[in-house]
Amino acid sequence: MAKRLFNNTNWTPSAQADAGALSSGSYMALKGGSGTQRMDVLEVYLHGMAAASAVTPTCLARASTIETTPTALAAPATDGPEDPSTAALAAPPVSFTAAATGPQRSAATSDARLNLGINAFGGSFRWNAAPTQQWVILGNTAQLGETLLSSQNTGAPGAVGAHILYEPY
Amino acid sequence: MSSLKRHDGELTIDHRASPGLTPEQARSVGLPGAPLGEGTSTGFATVSCSHCGGVWIVNPYRTRERPYCKVCDHYICDPCKAVSLQPGYVHRTIEDLTNMICSGNWRIAGGPASNPILVPNTPET
Repeated sequence: MAKRLFNNTNWTPSAQADAGALSSGSYMALKGGSGTQRMDVLEVYLHGMAAASAVTPTCLARASTIETTPTALAAPATDGPEDPSTAALAAPPVSFTAAATGPQRSAATSDARLNLGINAFGGSFRWNAAPTQQWVILGNTAQLGETLLSSQNTGAPGAVGAHILYEPY
Repeated sequence: MSSLKRHDGELTIDHRASPGLTPEQARSVGLPGAPLGEGTSTGFATVSCSHCGGVWIVNPYRTRERPYCKVCDHYICDPCKAVSLQPGYVHRTIEDLTNMICSGNWRIAGGPASNPILVPNTPET
């Protein structure tokens, strides 16, 4: 299929506990477009935009509870294919930063979590998967079907910009 | 024999233009012992689990055995290793799981990523 970039800029991943509904605007979420869709997350990049020192403990984690009624992306967030000739998918992935009731980050010790903490005052990180070693999203139900980029419940996160490079099938 | 390092991903945390994190702050964000202070650019290896499709940062200070699946010839995560030791375990990689789900014959009905609950899709009558 075709690689896509889900981007959002100047948002604040506020510190929130696991297993609680995340507040709108404080996360980037990716969910399968159907119960049989697989997506591979290939890269996550995040750069700090805070004007003062801000410990920002972001993480890539699975969702234990799916959101209700995700809000369609609005500027400045974007999600589109890297290749302009990409054909439309029958089941487009669901990328969102807000919902009527936010998704819940899994608190299960048996679920993967990639710790990606930085100081948002000038700090940045980039994670790249090795070929065939991607972070996998499968289906559209908890817990394999949705992945969240959000902040853990510590520190005082600052504003950031981020993108997630992924490939839906 | 090829090295399992070929599966490693890369994480770079760059604080070259930032005050960075103190050792206490690094611990609080889940990166204990990592040099993340002012002026640093630190690289980490990440490992993916061939059973659940998740990714972890390799802990260089780990002294316990790192779980490994001889069937996949791949590192797996601790929870998937625990599941693999349960009675009646059936070996299943994330690729196998993908094929089952994409066939339309099965669906995921909750459960952790290391041990998802699979329910057969019954044909409509």
